Amino acid sequence: MASIALPGMHGREVGYSGGLRVVELNIGAQHPASGHMRLVVYLDGDVIVRVDPDIGYVHRTVEKLSETREYVRIISLVERMTIIDACNVTLPYVEAVERLLGVEPPPRARYLRTILCEVNRVASHLYGLGIGGIFLNHSTMYMWAFGDREVFVHLASLLTGSRLTHTYPVFGGVRRDLPQGFRDEFEKAKRYMLARLREYDKIFFNNPVIRGRLEGVGVLPRDRAVALGATGPNLRASGVRYDARMTGYAAYGDLGFEPVVGREGDALERVWVRLREIEASLEIVERALRELPEGPFMNPRYTKAVPPMVRHWLEKGRLKLPGGYVRLKTRPGEVLSRGEMGRGEITYFLVSDGGTKPYRLRIVTPSARNVVLFDALARGHTLMDLPAIYGSIDYFPPEADR
Amino acid sequence: MAVDPLAWLSSATGVPYWALRAVAAPLLYPGLATFMAVALFIIWAERKITARVQMRVGPLYVSRRLGGALQLLADGVRIAFQEIIIPEGAEKWSFVLSPILAFTVVSLAFTVVPGGPGVYGFRSSLSLLVTYAIITLTPILVITMGWASNNKFSFIGAGREALVSITGEATLLASLLAAAMMYGSMDFVAIVGEQAASRVPGIAANPVAALLFFIAALLVTDRVPFDLVLGEQEIVQGPYTEYTGLLFALTMALDYAKLYVLMLVFTHLFLGGWAPFASPLLGSAAVFAKTVGLMLLAVFLRSVYGRMRLDQVASMFWSRLFPLALVAFVISALIHPIYTP
Repeated sequence: MASIALPGMHGREVGYSGGLRVVELNIGAQHPASGHMRLVVYLDGDVIVRVDPDIGYVHRTVEKLSETREYVRIISLVERMTIIDACNVTLPYVEAVERLLGVEPPPRARYLRTILCEVNRVASHLYGLGIGGIFLNHSTMYMWAFGDREVFVHLASLLTGSRLTHTYPVFGGVRRDLPQGFRDEFEKAKRYMLARLREYDKIFFNNPVIRGRLEGVGVLPRDRAVALGATGPNLRASGVRYDARMTGYAAYGDLGFEPVVGREGDALERVWVRLREIEASLEIVERALRELPEGPFMNPRYTKAVPPMVRHWLEKGRLKLPGGYVRLKTRPGEVLSRGEMGRGEITYFLVSDGGTKPYRLRIVTPSARNVVLFDALARGHTLMDLPAIYGSIDYFPPEADR
Repeated sequence: MAVDPLAWLSSATGVPYWALRAVAAPLLYPGLATFMAVALFIIWAERKITARVQMRVGPLYVSRRLGGALQLLADGVRIAFQEIIIPEGAEKWSFVLSPILAFTVVSLAFTVVPGGPGVYGFRSSLSLLVTYAIITLTPILVITMGWASNNKFSFIGAGREALVSITGEATLLASLLAAAMMYGSMDFVAIVGEQAASRVPGIAANPVAALLFFIAALLVTDRVPFDLVLGEQEIVQGPYTEYTGLLFALTMALDYAKLYVLMLVFTHLFLGGWAPFASPLLGSAAVFAKTVGLMLLAVFLRSVYGRMRLDQVASMFWSRLFPLALVAFVISALIHPIYTP
């Protein structure tokens, strides 16, 4: 820093950058509200003139590692990108491999996948709401959302046996059948969550302080959202009726799905879309449970090969995979598949050369697409609006860095 | 007739009574020793209340039988043994001295604010104004902290402190003056006496001034929803970012000490001070209980609100609350006769 001498004090100029009188502020990588990343913020007074998101702090070479692993092992690798949304992140990959293998999951498996995806989506949205709350120093929203998320983590563990990294959808079906008592537990969870959503509205969404922080902040007009390639609730909040679930993968085609669409495109609207999507997801799970078809939960092509010694598990609704499952060979070819995660659309591009491992697996995660919004939305706002914008776009660094 | 320990000490040692009183008030009650106990309780209560609202347990494992009440003591021990790091680029003397000086300045207020009937260091016809002057000295030292730290977050925090203190203190002073005008006095003892004589507490006579005082006190002491100077999500810990160890503890205690002083003042101005008691012991207990109750209300807001934006706070105070202070003056002028017949 340049310095000037003042009587008794040591004066400093706070900085010039490129001829502009700006302060360069490093928010992160060690900062209470940066996440696993760094935001280089350029300030003119209190007004943000530019934000450079510096990503890559949690890059874990998921794409490259995928080339060295058998197909089934990649499922538990890719779900590490977003363990809080594990089913949504793995499902499009599983469907891509299924298409190369030429296997169809039975209808019951498609419904079970949908159920877990929606339970995950609720948990993911609650996580985002909690983080959004603490970004505005609203610690009650933070704790409530994380506490209520446990309900849905519990539902997922009932269904799959594990809280976060379920590895539930596998090629040809799912790992477990619907357990007894899940319907009752879900009924309780739904009633509880709907009551809680009304309380969220009271303490957070309709709180005058929170409204003041979010209303009119980080406005993303419809055409801009499309041009920037924003995705997920951020895109829908700007009034674009687009959701990858509309393509009808898993059981969404049968269940008649309608996305939640906002209008204004400001931070408040993005939070609103998430809150209403929680309600919509609960509806979808309820409908899926009601219309859940009978039948096997795994394609007979693989259950046939289950050794007789562990066959009794299959009757109890649990799959013990046959040994050859790890050496599956796909036909050579390229597949593109996509799905809607809690934070937006995830795309997998899988290239196979006919071996037991992919030749190339390209992954585009929703957070990787939403990272452009930092600069686009924050310009012209004050420094205090940056956490509000960060919280409202629900950005998740490990997901973006892969 | 209760025994006055100070009078006994004075006759035993020959030290004049007024000198003993001037030392005992800032050091024992309502001063530092009491403040330590209050801070211990209030921070514990703050964490327990928020935990209750947020479906958590709060502090528990340190002194389990007391519900974790000694957690802050454990934290204090940890902080006391922590190394005090002075950043290389910092201006050493102002960095080290300003938190000490700031806390000392706030402690001076305990000499003039009474803790009960007859329990005070000095009685002055201007004690209200003196208290206000002492409280408004601290922002200068906080700004010095932010400047001396040589850290951009601290510097921005210092800028916020400047804006916030000017904004909050204007409303605070206006509500104080409205109250002083209502009682026709700036002496705490006289003010409490007026309320006792007329049997009307100030909050009933002039609720607008009381409300403004409370809100402005929240802003001046960095309580949620006005904790702009701390602003963890933007500027880490504001002017206090670079502080460690005991110096950090002092910066933390600073806001709680200011809150304690201002809530004592609120008790005297609007809640009738030591009413309904007149004896030093019971009167002091009444003042203490009212002050702690007010502080509990102030810390409870943390579990309801988030943080307001800087420009919204400034515009709320200047365009809405400050004009409201003029209404408080009008009410004071109208209600004035009930206090000075």
